Amino acid sequence: MSEAVVAVDHVTKRFAGHTAVDALSISVPSGVIYGLLGPNGAGKTTTIRMIMDIYEPDAGSVRLFGNAGGGGRAHSERIGYLPEERGLYPRMRVLDVLVFLAEAKGMQRRAARTKATEWLERLGLADWRLRKVSELSKGMQQKVQFISTILHDPDLVILDEPFSGLDPVNSQVLRDTVVDWRRRGKTILFSTHIMEHAEKLCDQLCIIARGKKLVDGLLSAVKQTHGGKHVTVAFDGAAGSAASVLADRRLVAKADDYGHYAELELAAGADPQEILRGLVSAGARLTKFELVEPTLNKIFIDLVGPDAARAAAVPETPVRA
Amino acid sequence: MHKVWAVIRREFVERVRTRWFWIGTILGPLLMVGIIGFQLLLAGRGAGVRRMTVVDGTTTEFGVWLTVQLQSAVPRFHVTRTAAGPGVADTLMAQVEAKAIDGFLLVDDAMLDQGKAEYRGSNVSSVADMEQLESTLRRLVFAARLERRGIDTLVVQQAQIPIHLIQSKVSGGKLTGESGRQSFFTGFGMAVLLFVVILMYGVNVMSSVLEEKTTRVVEVLVSSLRPFQLMVGKVVGAGAVGLVQLTVWIGSAKVLGGVGQRLASSTAGATPVGFQFPHIPAATFAVFALYFLLGYFLYAAIYAAVGAMSNTEAEARQAQVPVQLVLMIPYLSFFAILNDPSSELAVWMTLIPFWSPIAAPVRWGARPIPPIELALSLVILLATVIGVTWVAARIYRVGILMTGKRPNLKELVRWVRAA
Repeated sequence: MSEAVVAVDHVTKRFAGHTAVDALSISVPSGVIYGLLGPNGAGKTTTIRMIMDIYEPDAGSVRLFGNAGGGGRAHSERIGYLPEERGLYPRMRVLDVLVFLAEAKGMQRRAARTKATEWLERLGLADWRLRKVSELSKGMQQKVQFISTILHDPDLVILDEPFSGLDPVNSQVLRDTVVDWRRRGKTILFSTHIMEHAEKLCDQLCIIARGKKLVDGLLSAVKQTHGGKHVTVAFDGAAGSAASVLADRRLVAKADDYGHYAELELAAGADPQEILRGLVSAGARLTKFELVEPTLNKIFIDLVGPDAARAAAVPETPVRA
Repeated sequence: MHKVWAVIRREFVERVRTRWFWIGTILGPLLMVGIIGFQLLLAGRGAGVRRMTVVDGTTTEFGVWLTVQLQSAVPRFHVTRTAAGPGVADTLMAQVEAKAIDGFLLVDDAMLDQGKAEYRGSNVSSVADMEQLESTLRRLVFAARLERRGIDTLVVQQAQIPIHLIQSKVSGGKLTGESGRQSFFTGFGMAVLLFVVILMYGVNVMSSVLEEKTTRVVEVLVSSLRPFQLMVGKVVGAGAVGLVQLTVWIGSAKVLGGVGQRLASSTAGATPVGFQFPHIPAATFAVFALYFLLGYFLYAAIYAAVGAMSNTEAEARQAQVPVQLVLMIPYLSFFAILNDPSSELAVWMTLIPFWSPIAAPVRWGARPIPPIELALSLVILLATVIGVTWVAARIYRVGILMTGKRPNLKELVRWVRAA
């Protein structure tokens, strides 16, 4: 694996009264879609802001593109950042906003103009380029915001809760774009608390809660480690004495028995093969025995469930430094 | 640097593009001309015909003489005489009420001996009328007293030739060609311009900071520029707009002044004072420009910090009131400074950095400030600009990302320390 594009090393950020991020380390390799997952208030935005040099960590360090000591600001030309709370200058013309934001990241004015015009055409906003931002619909403003994030063709794209507030059309546009970016070798780091998005998009992920890492790694590996504990069974005709097997609490923690069909949750440490043997020797005629991969949502809730309710009370954006 | 330049340009272009910039730039001089014209019009009105009655209660011929003399001394006063008697005052009072006359002068023997007289009228609030009446009476009574003692009329007339004092300002051992009146107008004009422009563009910086904060654009910006770069770009950009507007105003005032003077000299009569654009020596202009720039940077930095620590327009407007009050002190004391440019007050005002941007140019307009004092004032101001910018940048840096309640003083100190 090549050098990590984003290497967050034991960063801690405290705000008056609480620790938002607690000795968190994540490593985002080049060319992947990386999901930073967690309930509201987990510290996702704070982590991203530290990566972007908006906050300085109280401890730990952030390295980008393998450069020591270079946070987001030093590399602004190579990073596209979409903050959670989005906004544009309402009184500026669409094209001017895009050119200005690109210039602020270090792009040359002329190149920014050309690129902005191209992108506006591609997303069907060409006729609006000389209108004021405030005259645009919310959906159009979202598109302008995407364009401003990627206009300078960044190598690393950081999206904080990118899907929140998006209409279905723009949501699809964003998903397609993200996949397209990865195809072109870009690295994408995005945060979300909606697991369906993460499950469809992520190659790798990190789940955090209350500022601490709970699990990270490849999506498939996470699923393997935390999955494989569910079994679906279907019977053909008589179930025989299968019920006794399903009732064995050493093997099955919980069973939803529908007669011809049952969903099992395995007991801790139980081997699914043992259940299979037990069912066969009990005389059940099986038409299906399947180890079900749990959804990311299920893993997420299992991991952070008890936490989520409490964490939600802590504001994600600190009110006071 | 490229990034800061982008911020400066955005700030400049977006402001110049607004309707308000053009309205302000064009309407500013017109408004000034309008105000001056209006004042001239009012002054002209003040010099109209006045009908007044002398109520003669004297036992000599003095009352009759005074009536004639007053009429011939001030042609616009139409003076009649009536003998004093019971009920006369009431009758005249009714006439004033009916606007048949403007007022009446009660004269008796005490006027010559003790200098007492009384005027009752509807025009007593007119400074021009009263001054003219009083000075004419003084002169007439003066002459009458001398003549009563047998002094020759010719001698009396000679004794009364008035002084016409020509005032010329000396600066650097040379005549500047500036009259006292022009000195006053230069000082006054500078005080108004400095106050208005520093305040207006300071507030512009504040609302610009606030806009980025409330729209959250600031988050993207701060991830690409250092907050200090952003603040400096903003202050310079808005200041450049102020400089353009100021140049347009001064330039057009000069042109309009020239036109006014030509108009005035082509028409007979006195030159309208208000239209005369004073000749401003290069040194005065340099002092003005220097203090404007430093003063603007000082207040713009403060306004940027005020914008950063507020969450809404309303909150910011409230928070900037103390700043405005501080700037108002030298503006309001410009009259005192002009009256005595080397008084202790004037010297202190020149040295205190929050006041000197207005006080020093005004004082300079009246009388050149000793070089050592000027240098000291500028050094103190410059040091303050640097110090305040440093503190403001720290408040700005923390403030632009904060939401929630406005910080109190203790929290502000923590922001400055923490950043």
